[in-house]
Amino acid sequence: MSRILIVDDEPAILKLVAAVLARAGYEPIAAGDVRAALTAIDAGAIDAAILDLGLADRDGLELVAAIRLRSTMPILILSARDATDEKIAALDLGADDYVTKPFDSDELLARLRSALRRAGLQVAQDGVLRHGPIAVDRARHHVTLGDVSVSLTRREFSVLAMLVEAGGRILTHQHILRGVWGAAHDNDIEYLRVVIRALRLKLEHDPARPSLIRNEPGIGYRLTHGNG
Amino acid sequence: MGLPTSALARIADYSVAILAVVAVTAFGLIFRVQFGLASIALLYLLPVLLTATRGGIGTSLATAGGAALAYNFFMLPPRFTLRVFGYDNIVSLIVLFAVAIVTSRLASGLKAREGAAVERARAGVQAAALASALTAQATLADADRTGLAFLADHFGTVILIALADADRGRPQFSSLDLAALAWSAHNGDATGHASAVMAAADWSFVPMARGAEGDVLALARPEDGSSRHPAEIERLQTLAALFGQARDRLKLDAERQARQRLEELDALRGTLLASLAHDFRTPLTLLRSGIEAWRATPPGEESIAGVLGQVHRIEHMLADLIGLARIEGGAVDVAREPVDLIDIVAAALDDSDTGDSARQILTDVAIDLPLVDADPVLLRHMLVNLLDNAAHYGGPHIRVSARSAGDVILLSVGDDGPGIARGEESAIFDRFVRFAVGDRVGGTGLGLAIVQGFAKAMGADVTAANRANGPGAEFTIALPIAVAAGERG
Repeated sequence: MSRILIVDDEPAILKLVAAVLARAGYEPIAAGDVRAALTAIDAGAIDAAILDLGLADRDGLELVAAIRLRSTMPILILSARDATDEKIAALDLGADDYVTKPFDSDELLARLRSALRRAGLQVAQDGVLRHGPIAVDRARHHVTLGDVSVSLTRREFSVLAMLVEAGGRILTHQHILRGVWGAAHDNDIEYLRVVIRALRLKLEHDPARPSLIRNEPGIGYRLTHGNG
Repeated sequence: MGLPTSALARIADYSVAILAVVAVTAFGLIFRVQFGLASIALLYLLPVLLTATRGGIGTSLATAGGAALAYNFFMLPPRFTLRVFGYDNIVSLIVLFAVAIVTSRLASGLKAREGAAVERARAGVQAAALASALTAQATLADADRTGLAFLADHFGTVILIALADADRGRPQFSSLDLAALAWSAHNGDATGHASAVMAAADWSFVPMARGAEGDVLALARPEDGSSRHPAEIERLQTLAALFGQARDRLKLDAERQARQRLEELDALRGTLLASLAHDFRTPLTLLRSGIEAWRATPPGEESIAGVLGQVHRIEHMLADLIGLARIEGGAVDVAREPVDLIDIVAAALDDSDTGDSARQILTDVAIDLPLVDADPVLLRHMLVNLLDNAAHYGGPHIRVSARSAGDVILLSVGDDGPGIARGEESAIFDRFVRFAVGDRVGGTGLGLAIVQGFAKAMGADVTAANRANGPGAEFTIALPIAVAAGERG
């Protein structure tokens, strides 16, 4: 049974999320503030954390950084609808995903499941990253879609490899730009847009209605398990 | 090197005087016998009168002297000497001088009055021109621009200095200039160069409200360093007062308009509150009765869906309200970036109410359209609202399309509902505009107002129209194409 830490300073939300987790078969551990959260993590055996960013005693973002210093556990953020900057900051600090408040318990559980699955995932023995029908062989610089080999440019390959490696986790625009083009280009979003278009043309079933490479406006890209 | 005009005029005056004296003398020499000395003496008054009426006491006195000399030398016995016999000759000399003095005085007085009248007329014409130029202006900024340009045309460099800035130093003003400026601003007198107060200053300062504290016009000395005439300052003062009145009127207008806007906003808030109370009460009532019913019977799938639907409705209303508050508060942060409309359309379709119905949504966004320059978060919100609007008011089909038109990309959401009544195309974006289509309406009537508010914040245009082919409305957002910055290497 996975132990999930929930941090929120709103007791009603804490109770609600704990109930949702318990019903889904997880063991919830509730913390009302940053101190309680860090104590629980230091006690060990936590598999994932769900954090509200608007905490009373310290900014939730600091908690993201503090948890990342201690552990690689999946971190899910609960965040208000319009708080784009906050989401980006949390993702860049190492959070795995976010759920926008008011949220759906089914959606929360789905995000948690996929975060836990990613955490348990080991890179396959052969060093090939897989996502659905896509296989990325970093060593041989080779990509296949199903059985078909796909020819990609250097940039396209790098972006796709990052996305596949993230395994459905959302990567911020800036994170991808820094990773592929370097820190000097982390605002040149049009580079990324052009490469994503090219990737969609080569990988998506319908590039105009993407179901594999999805964008969160203002935040970043992620891979989904579409039918592409 | 040419002589100044005033010197030329004087030379002309003297020439006329000499010619006249010579003419009278010649006439006297010829007709001395026939006319007699007394008549000839009277004739010598003519050159004096002539020069005196041309103005200038100097020329007329000189003429009088010349006439007396000529009379004495050529006419009075013993002729061709300057010896004077008898008192009557001295009297005629005195009379000539007296006539010269009195006439030239009268003439120059007249001339001065005429000059003043001309100056007044010129000032009047200028004032009328300025007044008509100013009345055409609708804003204070326009009036300032027009007024200052007008004054600059007629006077040279003119600066408008607000009362609040009157005591602040400026690099172009000496300390005497500053003292004159402060005096003018606080007492409403003309000061500085060519005025009665602190005339040693380099600039002239003219109040915009005579005799009262207020803004001031600063007039630089002519560039050639020459002095201004006090009449010029007087004229400027009239124009400045006129300018000041026009500015006061516009300031009052602006204040009145601001007050009116506030009142309208208040009225709007009142309507908003009344409308919100109603809008929230309906879903809350449904929610409450739905949940209360679960006490008696365990919730079925249909009942849960119904309750969740109401919750969803409240969430949407809340999102609209937050959007409106951000627009009203001017707190819409716009973060523009190159955006792929394919991404926005996909994200908006995930978010909108349209997904869970039997509605058919057709998207037509080409993969090779240029990127647009937009705030992706605001644009997604706008598109969601347009999709929800189409879902509420339109028919079973919704079409989202994007096409290139010049330097913009037009992103449209079309439906096959009843369309928009003629003349309502822009009113539809007003707050609380809802159309009577029964219970299907679920929003606050703010959705389209938010679309427009966000569009405005982003510098994009949004328009509503009926579809060209077939019934239904079409909403179009015009987005600028992102400037391509091609990647190197």
